Amino acid sequence: MAFNKISLLTGVIGCLLCCQLAVAKDVLRVLAWPGYADPDVVHAFEQRFQVSVEVTFVDSDEALWAKMHASSGPHFDVLAANTAEMQRYFAAGLLKPLDPALLPNTRRQLPRFRNLAAIPGLQQQGRLYAVPFTYSTMGIIYDRRQFPVPPDTMNVLWDPRYRHKVLDFNSGQHNFSFTALASGIGQPFRLSAAQQGMLVQRLIALRRNVLTFYSLPEEGTELFIRHKIALMFGNYGTQQLNSLRQAGADVGYAIPREGVLAWLDCWAMTAASSKPRLAQQWINYMLEPAVSALLPTRQGLANTLSASDELKPGAKVLWLQPVENAAQREALWQKIYSGDRPGSF
Amino acid sequence: MRSGLLVKLALLLAVFGILSSGITGYYAFTANRTMLVSAAQGDLLTAARGVNRRLQQAEEEAADDAMLLARLVQVAQVINGQGGSQMQRARDELAQAFAGMLALHPEYLQVRLIGAADNGLELVRVDSSGGLTLRVDGADLQEKGHFPYVFETLALPAGQIYQSAIGINHERAAHDAEGRPGMMVATPLPRSDGQPGGLLVINLDLERLLGQLRADLPKGYQLYMANRWGDFLVHPDPAQTFGFEQGRRILMQDSFAATQPLFERKLNNLALSGLEQPQQAAERVMAFVRQPVGLGNRDDFVVTGLVQPLDAVLESAVPLGQRIIHMVLAFSAIAILLAVVFARALLRPINTLAQAASSFSDTQLQQVLPVERNDEIGVLARNFDRMQRQINSHMASLYDNQRELSYLAHHDSLTGLANRALFFQRLEQLLQLSQRNGAPFAVLFVDLDHFKEVNDLHGHAIGDQVLQIVARRLLHTVRGSDMVARMGGDEYLILLQGNFTDAALAELMNKLRQSIGEAMTVSGQRLEVGASIGYSLYPRDGTTAEQLVNEADHAMYHVKAGMRGGEANSLSCR
Repeated sequence: MAFNKISLLTGVIGCLLCCQLAVAKDVLRVLAWPGYADPDVVHAFEQRFQVSVEVTFVDSDEALWAKMHASSGPHFDVLAANTAEMQRYFAAGLLKPLDPALLPNTRRQLPRFRNLAAIPGLQQQGRLYAVPFTYSTMGIIYDRRQFPVPPDTMNVLWDPRYRHKVLDFNSGQHNFSFTALASGIGQPFRLSAAQQGMLVQRLIALRRNVLTFYSLPEEGTELFIRHKIALMFGNYGTQQLNSLRQAGADVGYAIPREGVLAWLDCWAMTAASSKPRLAQQWINYMLEPAVSALLPTRQGLANTLSASDELKPGAKVLWLQPVENAAQREALWQKIYSGDRPGSF
Repeated sequence: MRSGLLVKLALLLAVFGILSSGITGYYAFTANRTMLVSAAQGDLLTAARGVNRRLQQAEEEAADDAMLLARLVQVAQVINGQGGSQMQRARDELAQAFAGMLALHPEYLQVRLIGAADNGLELVRVDSSGGLTLRVDGADLQEKGHFPYVFETLALPAGQIYQSAIGINHERAAHDAEGRPGMMVATPLPRSDGQPGGLLVINLDLERLLGQLRADLPKGYQLYMANRWGDFLVHPDPAQTFGFEQGRRILMQDSFAATQPLFERKLNNLALSGLEQPQQAAERVMAFVRQPVGLGNRDDFVVTGLVQPLDAVLESAVPLGQRIIHMVLAFSAIAILLAVVFARALLRPINTLAQAASSFSDTQLQQVLPVERNDEIGVLARNFDRMQRQINSHMASLYDNQRELSYLAHHDSLTGLANRALFFQRLEQLLQLSQRNGAPFAVLFVDLDHFKEVNDLHGHAIGDQVLQIVARRLLHTVRGSDMVARMGGDEYLILLQGNFTDAALAELMNKLRQSIGEAMTVSGQRLEVGASIGYSLYPRDGTTAEQLVNEADHAMYHVKAGMRGGEANSLSCR
């Protein structure tokens, strides 16, 4: 009896080993943000392509950059990053061009995301390097009871009628960019020194008009409700809108006529990848309706396949790009945020 | 068989002893561990509450200081904006007072008077800079109206205290305070017309406070603190703190899943251990306490956690565990010894009983039994003893009956003489003996004469008595070694051992006839009977019992025939 059991066990282990050796599964290494590659989604991909997928999550652009530059550890095959970061990665020679023929699901995308030339960072030297996956706009969230008609301009944030009824996000880069948009500057990511000087004064004016600057989405929601805020720069976009509505606020979402800042996360293949076909199968799989549909339901993010209520097809979107000098913007912003008066710049 | 029972009993007792000592030891060990962990949890909870209380104390002290400064007359002068030079002097005096306060309290980073007007422009400001006090004035004063500690404090009624959430200070040029975690404690300053005029704010250094607290905590305690959303404010690894400042959320409820109910306000405190909740607190003992911050209506709180490695807590259980193992081993050895001794003591009386039983069945001899015992074995022994006695008495009566039956089977009930069967049995034995050693012997056949008439004349009762008297007279006449038997009716047989001549026999028969013929008195009647006697000799007259008896019978018959009609009983001529 015991002998039978042992021989059976040996047989089973032997079989497993044989199977393991016979298949010798490929391993795809994915570098992504939480929510982009949930275990069920990964498992379905592994089943379909008979491969093994290792997902590493990052929670900041800095962490992503550090992982891509790590000298030790395995090389990643695919990564998810926003358009501005993609330009950095391309410049550093870390990306490999994609073959559109291997990405048939891109044909399902909205026209806005198929117009590759209109989105900086997707193409380089005429070749495709990144495929849009998910995005979030940074529109204006407003209290519908205080605004019978939705605001249509960024300049409403400076309106003295709403003094101390405005919330802004505590961020140098975005504040300079949207103030530039509000001031009619065409290239908000490429500011001249003169433009910067002018924008500093406008940002001081904004500082005097806002109640405060928030950092965390929860913080924004709490301040909005407690201080009966009229307007808010929605840095976290539709996610923030949903959380405000859940908290009981009667809020609307407006895309100003000057255009709206938005981040767009894309999938790209690393130059180090030895499995380009599998990597592109992953990217194509991410654009399947069933997979992309999880972004709105699970993450409150928009996908690139279906139209969103908050972003009408004609609305002007400025996808984030690297700014002329991020450190300088941040230093200026720190002075503005700390309460420096106009004369000290 | 008996040794088998001994081994089994000893084994059973030993196993029972080992098991009971083992289980007792195990429970003592686990109970001790549980007690240690529970005590550690209690200590951690107390320490965490102590941390919170110390923080609260520091905040209350800062609040008292802020209130104290707010009552200075110069504050009212500055807030109400009276006069130019007088105002400047009031500011200078306030700056001196603030500097004095800063110098007194190293945990204060800034003391400021901020106006409600001009977008919250600072009016008097003294910073801690490199541990020294530094007055900030003129163009370096900043507008602070957009900071929560300003607009929240201005909204408060006079005499109230505002306390901010703990955060990193991102105010540029704040000297020592810049980039440091801390909190603001402020009180509003109303103008003389009742309108908000400004606020007095003290900036508390969290690191300095925590540094003192950490130094007071026992070694091995790790201190954690999170804000109401769970973002770490204090963590043994500084890189894990204030993650939200960089857009990263490093949450306490992710690192310690069990703390989730604290942030949902379902619990106020929580203690866990790797002993009882190995999944939630692997290898650790931890306690978390939720502490309200600031004024009640703001619903702000921090969660303070203290964590200790489980090993450190259980370290003191190790020597006890070893001692328990030694004790269990010692008790097990004692249990084995006692089991053997006890089993033997218990089985000894049983063995005695068993031996007594086997010896009784062999020899019917009664052995000494432990009947004096008061226990079940005593009862058994007494019962067994009684049973032995009963058996012995039954056996004795059985032997008596048997002897009586055998006597009845071989003796004549009327005369007590041997009967025919016993006579022939003896005769056969004698024949076998004589065939071997050639010893001769004689058989006599005695028949009473005219006995029928005695019976007819005097009745059977008298006849029976006559037969008994004849039997006694025959017995008295022959030797003790000779056998007299009654054949039935009035016939008797006599077996005589020895070599007899005819003459000797004739003499003996005469003596017999005389003895029988003597007058006898039966029931008052005088009676006389005679007898005819014939004999045969071995081996002359026959070699079988039948031949010898028949020959004697024939001889007696001849005598009787010869004597019929005669008076005297004479010897036959054979």
